[in-house]
Amino acid sequence: MRIRLLLIISVCLQLSGIARAQAQGKPAGPQFLSVAAPSTGADELLKVGAKAWSQITPKHIALNRTPPLYDTDEPAGLDIPSVDVRLARASGRLFVQLSWRDATQDATTLTEVPNTPPETRFRKVQTEADDRFFDAAAVMFPAKPGTAMTPSLQMGDAENPVEIYYWNATRGAMLMQAQGRGTTRRTGQSFTASGTYQSGQWNLILELPDLPTGTPLAFAVWNGGQKDRDGRKYFSVWQVLE
Amino acid sequence: MSKHQYAMVMDLNKCLGCQTCTIACKKLWTDRDGTGYMYWNNVETRPGLGYPRQWDRIGGGWKDGALQPSPLPTMDDYGHPWEYNYEQRLYEGKRQPVMPSPEPTSGCNWDEDVGGMNEDENYFFYLPRICNHCTYPACLEACPRKAIYKREEDGIVVIDQDRCQGYRYCIKACPYKKIYFNEVTGKSEKCIFCYPRLEKGEVNACAAQCPGRLRFVGLLDDPESPVHKLVLIHKIALPLFPEKGTQPNVFYVPPFNPPKRENYGKSIQEDPRVPLNYLIYLFGPDVKDVLTRLESELKKTQEGGRSEILQLLIGRDAETRYHVRPQLVQIQV
Repeated sequence: MRIRLLLIISVCLQLSGIARAQAQGKPAGPQFLSVAAPSTGADELLKVGAKAWSQITPKHIALNRTPPLYDTDEPAGLDIPSVDVRLARASGRLFVQLSWRDATQDATTLTEVPNTPPETRFRKVQTEADDRFFDAAAVMFPAKPGTAMTPSLQMGDAENPVEIYYWNATRGAMLMQAQGRGTTRRTGQSFTASGTYQSGQWNLILELPDLPTGTPLAFAVWNGGQKDRDGRKYFSVWQVLE
Repeated sequence: MSKHQYAMVMDLNKCLGCQTCTIACKKLWTDRDGTGYMYWNNVETRPGLGYPRQWDRIGGGWKDGALQPSPLPTMDDYGHPWEYNYEQRLYEGKRQPVMPSPEPTSGCNWDEDVGGMNEDENYFFYLPRICNHCTYPACLEACPRKAIYKREEDGIVVIDQDRCQGYRYCIKACPYKKIYFNEVTGKSEKCIFCYPRLEKGEVNACAAQCPGRLRFVGLLDDPESPVHKLVLIHKIALPLFPEKGTQPNVFYVPPFNPPKRENYGKSIQEDPRVPLNYLIYLFGPDVKDVLTRLESELKKTQEGGRSEILQLLIGRDAETRYHVRPQLVQIQV
């Protein structure tokens, strides 16, 4: 009962925050994200240019820059102030399209490592650069959707673990889990994702398991050009799946 | 604080700059994909650029209890690794000479034997470097993943490859720039002080292969070990850049009697063939006392006496130079 009360209070606070932000003409904080149900199949939704996506009005989600985490961090400006989010449901899966402006495409194709052991080869694959970081994005949601408590925005907490669907422009998609800041770990599993960069904009589609109404979702964007990695990134506050 | 601390002493008076240690390390640990530019052990000419170049000037370490900023060295600072066209020459019958590719522009000990000038005289010496396995590792503090830890049983600092996410805060934090990023694996790597060898009672590969017999290995807290004697009893070995605040566990016997014409019998302080200020720059102000001690030992032997310190530094056999104690170090399983 107490948990339900807390949830109601939290939603009311979020809604009043939206109203206040809208009144001030600023991008809203927490928003309800509606999910389209196009008749298109799942394969079509993995294409950025699919007609079904163009028919969905994006939600404009404000991004925040994490404050400097370490004394030695170089300062970084708010180069990516927002991300546009579109959601669609098909074949029992939830498809998320994230679109954001980024002046530089920080991505590369790493040399494929042959299957043969390195000691049997004349040539080894070399490290081409040691100081580059790549563009990336992620969607975070509670590992146990449907529970009343919203996890901590800092990678969940001990009672409320989170799942993180992370995509890196060079290294691809990887599923992560966390129970609080510093606990994020790769599960070794991947998922379907498709990212394209065109005319200064990233369009990324992630295929997630279906999530129930009311599930909180948070978004993050890493800008390789700003040496983003780890908690050095852009993040949204929790949004709510409608 | 670890229960024990493995340490190494390198006598710079004996280093030939032959890179046998470098090759021993490379063949054993960094002959893999993504590790071409990694030299967990390298030997550089001093004064000189170092590897990566200008590592001693770009930052990191501690000051007043806080980590100091530093940029990441670039591949230009390391030199892009090159390969030779052995396939064409040896197997495909092409008659062109064996050539490196890409064209080398910098590399490990790129400025070999260039050194510096001191009153119209050229001088240089070699500085072999490994990870210092510091008592207060800046890399460990900087890692938000807690992927770096100092082994409680022997003080060796290692990177857990399962936890490392390749953020490279450790590389920035290390004032000695002895951590390298492997872009193929997406993780950072460093010298592991050959702990798998030590656990079997074998000394580090770099030490075992050194033809100059300049490396001494043992537990700093073991009174029987040569490193304990050289560092704590005789006080003739010093850490590199002590002001960086990490308290290294690799120590150097400074060059104290480099040869020069017409200086026979003169101490380095009477006739500084290597400028004293440069040695102070590397090893801190205590280097003066160390030089005084070493010179008095040398004088003692020149007058027909016997110096326990110099006998130890000669290090005739492996039993003298190494005191590996796997039975003392209880490995945590």
